[in-house]
Amino acid sequence: MSIRGEAAIVGIGETPTDRLGSKPGEPRKSTAEYLAWAAKLAMEDAGLAKKDFEGQGLAAIYTTSHSQPFWPEEVASILGLKPGVSLAGGNGGASSVSLLGHAAAAIAAGLCDLVLVIAAASPFGERGAHRGAPADTRDYEMPFGVMGPNCKISFVMSRYMHESGMTAEHFGKIAVTARYHASLNPNAYLRKPITIEDYKKSRLISDPIRLFDCVLPANGGKAYIMASAERAKTMRKPPVYLLGWGECNNASYGPRYRSNPLVTGISEAGRRAFAMAGVTHRDIGCLNLYDDYIPIVMLQIEDLGFCEKNDKAFFERTDFTFKGDLPIQTGGGMINCGQPSTTGGMLHVIETVRQLRGEAGQRQVPNVRFGVATGLGAVNYGKNFGCTAAAVLGNER
Amino acid sequence: MADENRAIKKPLPEMTPVNRPFWEGARAGRLVMQKCRDCGSWVFCPRPLCVECHSERLEWVPLSGRGKVFSFTVIREVVGRALRGFAPDIPYVTAWIDLEEGPRFCSNIVGCPIDKVTIGMGVEVVFEDTGEGVVLPKFRPGQAAA
Repeated sequence: MSIRGEAAIVGIGETPTDRLGSKPGEPRKSTAEYLAWAAKLAMEDAGLAKKDFEGQGLAAIYTTSHSQPFWPEEVASILGLKPGVSLAGGNGGASSVSLLGHAAAAIAAGLCDLVLVIAAASPFGERGAHRGAPADTRDYEMPFGVMGPNCKISFVMSRYMHESGMTAEHFGKIAVTARYHASLNPNAYLRKPITIEDYKKSRLISDPIRLFDCVLPANGGKAYIMASAERAKTMRKPPVYLLGWGECNNASYGPRYRSNPLVTGISEAGRRAFAMAGVTHRDIGCLNLYDDYIPIVMLQIEDLGFCEKNDKAFFERTDFTFKGDLPIQTGGGMINCGQPSTTGGMLHVIETVRQLRGEAGQRQVPNVRFGVATGLGAVNYGKNFGCTAAAVLGNER
Repeated sequence: MADENRAIKKPLPEMTPVNRPFWEGARAGRLVMQKCRDCGSWVFCPRPLCVECHSERLEWVPLSGRGKVFSFTVIREVVGRALRGFAPDIPYVTAWIDLEEGPRFCSNIVGCPIDKVTIGMGVEVVFEDTGEGVVLPKFRPGQAAA
C-alpha cells in the first residue's frame, strides 16, 4: 500500500521566533508556552478544536533540551490530549519531514484520522537540561576540540570546495537569495537584504564556514496537522497532500570507515519521494531545503538530481529566487527565520504549505503545484548527516 | 565570575569495554583499529560487531600511523560551554585524515603553521599525553601515504 495522497496537511501553526533569554536575566517563554501557542495556531488554521483530537494521533518532536524518554507523553500532558496513537520524532532536524510519512502511514492504515505534529524549544536559558553527546562525538571528536556542527560541516564544505572548485561567490549567492526571500517574509527574523560582499565580509568561525553560512539559534514553536484525504476535503483551508516521501538514515557512500561526505541520504530519500509522487524535476515549483548551513543546501540540490555533483556552472546560471528557474528557501529558510533547536526543520514544511495554498504573499511562486521539503539531523563521525527525509507536497491529489 | 577563573578541563573519552583497546593502544604509542576477520573490513569508530557483515570476530590491528589530510578546518571560536577548555588553543586545526590502510580518523594537525596545512598533505601520527591518563593520537607533517 502506498501512502501517496492518503493524507494531507490541513493546518499549520508557527509562533513568532525570538531570541529572548540570550542575554543574562532577560525573560523568555518556556517550551511549554511555545507548544501550547503553536498547537492553538495550527488548530485555528484547520478550524479544529481540542475535542477533535481525543483519541487521535499526536507526534512530538524531541528537542535538544528535552529528550527525556517520555517526551510525547509530557507533550500530551501539557496540551491535555489523550492520543490513541503516539509518535515520537527522534530524527533531529529530519523529524518534521520524517513524521509526514509516519503520520500519513498511521492515517492510511486507519489507526487515526488526524495527527497533530508538534515541536517547540526555548533553548536560551534551558542549558542545564542538555543531554550528553553521542558516543562517537564524545570519545573521538570532543577530545580533539571539534566544535560541534560548525566544525563538522566545515570539513564537508572544505572538501566540497576542493572537489568542485566552488568559491565564496557560489555560497554567497545562496545566502543572498535566502535573505532576499526573508526580506519578503513578515515572519522572518533577519530581514535586511545582504550582498555577496556582506557575505564575504562576515567573520570566519571555522574555515571555510562563515557567520552567514550558519543557522540562527532561536526560541519558538511550530505545528502542522494531517488528516485523511477524505476528512481534509471538509476543512476550511485547501488541503496540501503528501504525494511522495522517503527517509534514509545512517547513509554511507563507499565503505563505512571512509564514506563520501559530499553525498547525503537525501539522494535516496529524494529519489523515493519523487518516484512515489510520480513527478519529474520540471514539475517542482519550489524547494525548501533543510539549511543549517549554506553548503548543505547546495549538496541537497545536487543529491535531489536537479544537477550533477559539483556542477559549478549550474549554480552560476540558475536563478534561485521565487521568480526564477528553481525557487529555493522561499521564506528565507532557517538561516534567516531562526532555528528553535530540532523544531527548525518544520519551517520548511510550513513554508511549502503556504506556497501551495497561495498564501506566500510578496514571495509567492507563480503557478506552483508541487513543492519539496527536506529535513536533516545529526552529523555523524567522518560522514554527513545521519538522518535525512524528503517529501513531495502538492495542492492536488 | 570565580567559576570562569578556574582552569577548565578539556573533555576526555569515556572508557568502555568496546573502545578501551583503542585508548590502551594510544597509551602504548600504537594506533590500533578494529578489523573484521570474516570480511576484512575496517571498523571505526569502535563497535561491538562488524558494521559490514555483523560478524563478532573483530581483531585490533596496528596501523602505520601515516595518512593524508582529506579535509580540515581552522577553529576560530569556541562553541558550547563543554569545550571552553580549548579557548587558549585557538586558532588550531582539526582534520579528517585518511589513514594509509583506509580508515578516516578525526584529529588535530600539530607541528605545522596553520596556513601551511593543505588537503592532500602527508601526515604521521604523534602521541600527545593529556596528563589525565589519556593519550591522544595527533598528526604532524610527514611522508605522504602511498
